[in-house]
Amino acid sequence: MWSIIIKALPQLIAAGIKYTLPMAVIAFIFGLILALITALVRLSPRGGAFNIIKVIFRFYVWLFRSTPLLVQLFIVYFGLPYLRWAPLWPNGIKLGALTAGIITFSLNTGAYASETIRAAIASLPRGQWEAAYALGMTKRKVLQRIILPQALRVALPPLANSFIGLVKDTSLAASITIVEMFEVSQQIAAENYQPLLMYSLVALLYAVVCSLLSWLQGHLEKITSRYVLKRP
Amino acid sequence: MLKVQQLTKSFGKNEVLHQISVDFPEHETTVVLGPSGSGKSTLLRSLNLLEHPESGQYAFDNRHFDFAKGITAKDTLMIRRQTEMVFQDYNLFPHLTVLKNVMEGQIQVLGLPKKEAEAKSWELLKKVGVASRAQAYPSQLSGGQAQRVAIARSLAMQPKYILLDEPTSALDPEAELEVLKVLKQLHEENRSLVIVTHNLAFAQQVADKIVFLEDGQILFNGTQEAFFSPKQTSRIKTFIQAMTFAQI
Repeated sequence: MWSIIIKALPQLIAAGIKYTLPMAVIAFIFGLILALITALVRLSPRGGAFNIIKVIFRFYVWLFRSTPLLVQLFIVYFGLPYLRWAPLWPNGIKLGALTAGIITFSLNTGAYASETIRAAIASLPRGQWEAAYALGMTKRKVLQRIILPQALRVALPPLANSFIGLVKDTSLAASITIVEMFEVSQQIAAENYQPLLMYSLVALLYAVVCSLLSWLQGHLEKITSRYVLKRP
Repeated sequence: MLKVQQLTKSFGKNEVLHQISVDFPEHETTVVLGPSGSGKSTLLRSLNLLEHPESGQYAFDNRHFDFAKGITAKDTLMIRRQTEMVFQDYNLFPHLTVLKNVMEGQIQVLGLPKKEAEAKSWELLKKVGVASRAQAYPSQLSGGQAQRVAIARSLAMQPKYILLDEPTSALDPEAELEVLKVLKQLHEENRSLVIVTHNLAFAQQVADKIVFLEDGQILFNGTQEAFFSPKQTSRIKTFIQAMTFAQI
């Protein structure tokens, strides 16, 4: 048994470093940017023509929260090549598997995380905005210096949830031909007829990564909560 | 000189301020009195443009604005820089230390270099008597300390006016005294203050001018002596009696 594990482990770890982790990290960064923009648009008090933009962002959140991630991956990778539209894409939208994966994971994470960020910003007392505005700060400064640093503390645990979820969800990329960790474990299992061992091993690797992330979350929570009065 | 004319503000169907005209002289302390819900806070917040009245004129020095036409973002920033606000519940920035709370506006709004802002902040914290807590976070302060830091934060912006919205209403009597001492000092320095308060004893000591509001209208606008004179209207006499617990 050990010889099988020792043989499989380097291949799995290599796939993890080459695909699983980069996909998760890049998609999370894009997802966060998208989430922040979405949250700010949806919280904006502006009306009029701006309402159209709000509706678009609401539709985006609805779409990605209401459909399965696996189906989204299939649509982006297998489906979009058939979206033929003469002015822009006469031959359909053909994306590489990794690009399709990262785009889909980013959009999906962005939709969920936008709700987290929106709630975190909305949870801050109105007085924080008012005190900052009263000093004469522009809205941009108020957000940058006063609101977002405080919202980050509130949003950190659910955002960490999203990231941990994303790391595990990248295993779905196996189904769009990306040879990430889970795909590699399937290939090895097909060779050595040890599915229980191989899938348990890959499960363990996911668990190790996610445990590290949980630890990191705890550490970040301590840093961002420095200013909160400790309750005995 | 800060001045509003014909100021009207509603929240939905509820008219909170009705055709208010009043001026707040420079280098004087104006105390705004009145029962809860009379529109005092809304008036004060309108001066800092945290509220946007539907109609009325607003004059700041020689600049005139019309609320009905709206005030541009640029003018709003200019007015806010000149009229600093102190809130009942302090609204210090909890994620910044006391020192950084006082530095923040100087750096971000006035564009001062960090060193200069820091020196100025120390000086102001000493003035209000909380320099020993400079490195603490707001959550570690008592209410009286927090409010004095908020006053230091507003002074740091070197505003023409300081607007105080019930600055001591959330404090116990001893903490209130600490804050009132600071305010009295500001009054003696001839700063331009507008104070909304329920503390009549304090009003009597510092007010150069008293404005009494009820139901969104001004019932009195004049000197402190006239306000407390025995010839006062019965409504205001009743108010004074209630606030000083003269008849229980």
